[in-house]
Amino acid sequence: MTPARDQLLALKQVTVAFSGFIAVDRLDFEVASGELRCLIGPNGAGKSTTLDLICGKSRITSGEIAFRGAPIHVLKEFRIARTGIGRKFQVPSVFRELTVRENLEIGCSRDPGVWRNLFRFTGGVDTERLERLAVLVGLEDHLETQAAQLSHGQTQWLEIALILAQDPALILMDEPTAGMTAQETNMTAELFNRLRGKHTLVVVEHDMGFVRDIAETISVMHQGKLLAQGTADEVSQDAKVREAYLGSGGIGHA
Amino acid sequence: MSGKVSRQILLYGVVCLAILIVPVLVDDAFLLNKYARYLIFGMLAIALSLSWGYAGILNLGQATTFGLGSYCMAMFLKLKTVPIHTGSDGLPDFMVWNNVTELPWIWVPFHSMPIALLAGILVPALFAALLGWFMFGGRIAGVYAAIITLAAMVVVNLIIIDQQSYTGGFNGITDLARFEIFGLTFDAYSASTYYLVAICLTVTLFLALAVSRSKTGLILQAVRDQEERVRFFGYDVALYKTFVFALSAAIAGLAGMLYTIIMEFASPTFLGVPLSLSIVIWVAVGGRQSLLGAMLGAVLVTGVQGALSETEAFLETWTLVMGGLFVLIVLFMPKGLAGAFEALVRRFPKAERKGGARHATEQTSKSQPHLGGAL
Repeated sequence: MTPARDQLLALKQVTVAFSGFIAVDRLDFEVASGELRCLIGPNGAGKSTTLDLICGKSRITSGEIAFRGAPIHVLKEFRIARTGIGRKFQVPSVFRELTVRENLEIGCSRDPGVWRNLFRFTGGVDTERLERLAVLVGLEDHLETQAAQLSHGQTQWLEIALILAQDPALILMDEPTAGMTAQETNMTAELFNRLRGKHTLVVVEHDMGFVRDIAETISVMHQGKLLAQGTADEVSQDAKVREAYLGSGGIGHA
Repeated sequence: MSGKVSRQILLYGVVCLAILIVPVLVDDAFLLNKYARYLIFGMLAIALSLSWGYAGILNLGQATTFGLGSYCMAMFLKLKTVPIHTGSDGLPDFMVWNNVTELPWIWVPFHSMPIALLAGILVPALFAALLGWFMFGGRIAGVYAAIITLAAMVVVNLIIIDQQSYTGGFNGITDLARFEIFGLTFDAYSASTYYLVAICLTVTLFLALAVSRSKTGLILQAVRDQEERVRFFGYDVALYKTFVFALSAAIAGLAGMLYTIIMEFASPTFLGVPLSLSIVIWVAVGGRQSLLGAMLGAVLVTGVQGALSETEAFLETWTLVMGGLFVLIVLFMPKGLAGAFEALVRRFPKAERKGGARHATEQTSKSQPHLGGAL
């Protein structure tokens, strides 16, 4: 495992049970600062649940989650977010009735207080930064478009841009390429490679082609446990991983 | 963007100006009193538009905070009357009838005007903040929140009726002095009272507009769309919702105080279910996502209501006519009259070419209609 020196996130013996069903089972999982980690595994392996636990959407039954050495599993969701953790959901969730620009403004959440924001109007927002973000995800021509009008891929990108506007140290991505065309997936891989180093990323993904394009280290989960960890080649040759994926036709098609 | 905002401010300003010049054209104290009442209902609609239209909190008990404000003003004005039947220290008449011998502690601060005026706004706001903190902290939303607001109103209403010796019970608080401030006396049937209401309405409308245009307003709209998403950006969603709920209550409290001045009494019916549901109807008709739309919706509906109920042909059937109109509007104009107006403006793109042809050609993809969104 990575030495504790620049360790950013550490899950220690994390367990969660939903009315008896153990979704995550004594999981140990560590991510170093600046890493781009892919989290894969068959359906029901507990990948999304793990992300839910980190960002506070679900509560752990036992164990500990530490971010920058401090326990965060006791904090409320918005406080966890304020420590520097951003979450992209599997089903793209953006503010459909608002424009792309307004969406991005909400993403800029460095000052989350009610009073501060009461005296902040459109003019006070760093428009240059917003536009840079829009360019990054290819939405620069749609700034005044209502988010409901965007295509599925664009909606995914908009949510990614929102997370980048939030500018968290750790970004949790849940299937960012779900429903994207091959071309859109390629562009997303490019974007992720650009984010490498600036942010720490944990990416849950099913698309192995995409994972091979971006991953340094891959963690494989199975039945709520960490099964294997290593480079793409190491993982795909691991006997336990092959066995776990047997039912679903091999790792390439998972 | 800024052009859109200035057009909106202009439109709001024109409407407020139109409201302010009414006494110049109408020289009938009775009518002015009636119009001032409609304007107060307009303020209530603004309050509900903020919480329902912007933050998605359907408040079925908006009249609670309206009534609390109204009682605060009534308590103050009651202590200013020359009592006809007085006990010791000039007790309000109904207390004498209820064998109360000493002014209750809760009434004592209402001798002071600044305290009474502050209470009329802060008591409703604090009440809403407490209720909101309990509801939104506990993640109660949607229909459940609506039911709680309704239940809370029934409780407050029952308490007021039950505590007859302190509140006047069913009869409310009547026989009030006229409101006096800075040497001005506000007779319920006078232009000066109309101006008082109109100015309060204008201030409220622009204050609400500023809130809705601030980043807090934007975040509230985001909460309405996707509460979960907002939370994971680090915003304290419960605090934001509690804030807008309390602000809405403060506006309703101010409206309630004015209503006491206009009606010259306070009554438990002010905190009733019928009024609360009426507010929802006004806002739905006017367009809940538009402050001006909601306000005009209230004025329009209560105006038509008043006109119909006074017309001989509709004496028996006016409630039916109103009900029918409401059903039609909800069915065919889900965004109310404001939404319909915006859609209408969008239909005539030529009309807006004059003002922004360059803008229109530059952004062929989807340019925002100019007056659309101004409401």
